[in-house]
Amino acid sequence: MDKRARAPRWRLPVPGLRGQAFVTLLILVVCGFLVLYPVVFLVAESLNIGDPQIFPPEEIGLANYLESALDWTVIGNTLRVAFVATIISVTVGFVLAWILTRTRIPGRGFLERLIEIPFYVTPLVGALAWAILAAPKSGFINQAWMYLGGSGPLVDIYTPEGVAWVMALFEGTVAFVMIAAAMKSMDPSLEESSRVLGAGKFRTMMRVTLPLTFPAVMGAFIFVFAEMLGSFAAALVLGIPGRFYVITTAIWELTLSYPPDYGRAAALGISLFAVMFAMLALYRWVVRRGSYATISGKAFQPRAIDAGRSRWLLLGFCWLYIVIAVVLPLAALVLTSFQRFATVLMSQSEFTLANYATAFSLDSIRSAIGNSLMLGFGVATVGVFVMMLLVWIIYRSRAPGRGVMEYVVMFPQAVPRMVFGLALLWAWLNMPIPIYGTLWLLAIAYFTVLLPLGVRTLAGVVLQIDRSLEECARVCGASWSQQLRTVTLPLMRPGMISAWVLLFIASVRELGVSIYLMGPNSKVIAPAIVSSWSSSGTELTAAMAVIQTATVLIAVLVLFYISRRQSGQIIDKGGPL
Amino acid sequence: MTPSGSQGSHAAGELGAQIDVTDLVIRYGAVTAVRGVSFSVGRGEHLTLLGPSGCGKTTTLRSIAGLERPSGGEIIVDGKPFFSEAQRVDVPTEKRGISMVFQSYAIWPHMSVFDNVAYGLNVRRQDKATIADAVRKALDLVQMTPYADRAASRLSGGQQQRVALARAIAFSPKVVLFDEPLSNLDAKLRNEMREELGNLRDRLKITSLYVTHDQEEAFAISDKVVVMNAGRIEQIGTPETIYERPANHFVADFVGSANIVRGKVKGPNAVGSIAFEANGVTVQALSPFQPDGTENEIAIRPAYVALEREKPQDARLNVLAATIVRRMFHGDFIQYRVATPIGDLMVRGSPTNMFEPGSAVLACLKPEHCVLLKN
Repeated sequence: MDKRARAPRWRLPVPGLRGQAFVTLLILVVCGFLVLYPVVFLVAESLNIGDPQIFPPEEIGLANYLESALDWTVIGNTLRVAFVATIISVTVGFVLAWILTRTRIPGRGFLERLIEIPFYVTPLVGALAWAILAAPKSGFINQAWMYLGGSGPLVDIYTPEGVAWVMALFEGTVAFVMIAAAMKSMDPSLEESSRVLGAGKFRTMMRVTLPLTFPAVMGAFIFVFAEMLGSFAAALVLGIPGRFYVITTAIWELTLSYPPDYGRAAALGISLFAVMFAMLALYRWVVRRGSYATISGKAFQPRAIDAGRSRWLLLGFCWLYIVIAVVLPLAALVLTSFQRFATVLMSQSEFTLANYATAFSLDSIRSAIGNSLMLGFGVATVGVFVMMLLVWIIYRSRAPGRGVMEYVVMFPQAVPRMVFGLALLWAWLNMPIPIYGTLWLLAIAYFTVLLPLGVRTLAGVVLQIDRSLEECARVCGASWSQQLRTVTLPLMRPGMISAWVLLFIASVRELGVSIYLMGPNSKVIAPAIVSSWSSSGTELTAAMAVIQTATVLIAVLVLFYISRRQSGQIIDKGGPL
Repeated sequence: MTPSGSQGSHAAGELGAQIDVTDLVIRYGAVTAVRGVSFSVGRGEHLTLLGPSGCGKTTTLRSIAGLERPSGGEIIVDGKPFFSEAQRVDVPTEKRGISMVFQSYAIWPHMSVFDNVAYGLNVRRQDKATIADAVRKALDLVQMTPYADRAASRLSGGQQQRVALARAIAFSPKVVLFDEPLSNLDAKLRNEMREELGNLRDRLKITSLYVTHDQEEAFAISDKVVVMNAGRIEQIGTPETIYERPANHFVADFVGSANIVRGKVKGPNAVGSIAFEANGVTVQALSPFQPDGTENEIAIRPAYVALEREKPQDARLNVLAATIVRRMFHGDFIQYRVATPIGDLMVRGSPTNMFEPGSAVLACLKPEHCVLLKN
């Protein structure tokens, strides 16, 4: 590249530009630091073969990697669970996506929303709910089975298959979303021309539809598999009691053991990250190479097939999924939370509000709920504004280094959440600022790991705004801050509200980072649920899970409401946007 | 009358500003979009940058507004450097006081028509009465006064165009840049707006710089046209010069339509009248420059070929025996393909005097309409 193409140090003749340069520099440095600083610590610690408690390391070596790589049982477990979960979620996701985008069944829009709910329920709550449903003896399904005369337990969720099942239901939603998006953006004339040229419905499906969606299905498979490798909550709740470990829970055990073996934990975490990163690179390659030209970015009205009588079968499949992934788990949680002893047999049940009374009166739980809400509001509010500026700098400004910054802020997404939690733990333990164990650290950590979510959401909004709307403000004589205030922010307001709600939801359900960083005086809800599950009763835990889930679902409803109003507005405005 | 020029802060605003662009170079990474472009726009002059898409015309325009940062060269307005590589000056957009009409209009959908037009005055912290006055005058000029309180999102394309125009002139800039402002309008509206735009500019006595890929538009509204291609200037001149004396193959081909006839210069190697031999036939042609002997093309505009049944009196004319090969009816004119000794020619004829395909005619060419092209 020509040297002169790089922006030289220009004399800045106007103070206004200094403000922009200063804010840009500040935000890039702070966000870059927040993301990269913990990673440096994680890498350093993984190479530490001396005393794991000392930083910086006194002896450097690869022993941690060589030792951890040899644990074939854990690696085998991880691959097995991830593979089964991926197969289930991609298969189910494909069928659901096809039914909902390509056939005329009643209530498509509503069904699509319901199918997305398991994602918001979170794998942690999903695992608890399915433990209540399908524990070998006390599980509701087994209770009912034996009550009806069955001998012995029917199902057991505390198995590798059980872990995979919960992962597929509550983390596999993304497969459905990805495949449905691909099917929606496929130009229907590609199928129509096949029909016009004389091919039947079936032949068109086999020769045109399937090959065209294959890259998307392949992409979803790889992406979901990578996600599943880093999955933590289901294996934590359902695997550890049976001493069944995957890589993430093995990392967790290493940091819990006494003395904690942070070196090996870090090495395992980095190895896992490396594998996931390779998978994600593969995913990008598959998607880019295989996308043909079907994904034009245009919104098509997909041509729906009239499935005739079999549409009741298809509708039944959708509802079966919703019952298994939404209705049963949530019903089991709610029922348990109002009982003295968890049971599905109504004749034996004693209803009570005591669990909620305890949840709201017990200091540790009450403060956990309060802290989570406070963090949710705080991180979402501050985050939306900082991330908005960051997005503007990355996608709209001429600031040097903005391209690199895009990769930096997206980085936390490629790292398994709990591995990033470990990195943050190490980094901030060794920080001279005494914020370890406070809510401030959790706030910083949430902001860091939620950067990709917020930036991705807001980038979608910024990119929708025609660049010339902003340029015109400058041409009319507005400074950078005037332009942001009078044009950019007002145009982004609806998108920013959506981003706020998403950040709030993600904060309230956060587990992987919180579990490492919360202290005795800074408890938050998700880790509190985990510890309540292992130390207190099922019923109290269920009540906590219901409180968390209700909070999240209310926020989801707000989000749906906003996004519906927003899309109405865009249609309303028509022209210039 | 200059309704909005009277309350501006520019003393010299009456006649617009002088723009001098020198050796402008603009690179994006490895791609060079503009490769050393120089031109000047005089006070109150209307200049158009004309060229195919990707020729660097819009990039040049945007760099004058300060929306692109050039890699080299100078942009000087009224003697004041807005960008200078040598002096390391890059005045930010908002301090340049240059106005612009965007291709997409860029009407802010969250503001009313009034607020859109008042924007430039608001950021200059004018008092309320001045703003209201200036906005009303600007809206009057584009006949949008009844719409002042309407939400900008509820305007048709043509109305948005007018509001964009009002907004661009409301704060009395000395220079207004136009980035293909008419390209999103349908053909009929475009013709109307073209004329209105021309009137408006003349009344405001601003300097204007216009970008378009439509040569008809460029000719109709400009004092001077700069034809660009692949980041370079191919020719600068009045619309008449560009049309009648295209400098080279690209200009002849891109601007309007042209018959390019290959052959060689028989002499003399001088500016003015020359003899050009094509396919063994010599025609009298014109060289607007000093030929160096390597030139091998002349351009003949289809509209400048006259088809006659009998030989005209004028002895200076090149007269070629021709046969009508094909006739296409366009309504306003008839397009013929005629076979002549120097090759097939496209000819535009009048619909009042039609020739049948296959008939023999005489193709008559004035020497000054057979223009030698530079290599």
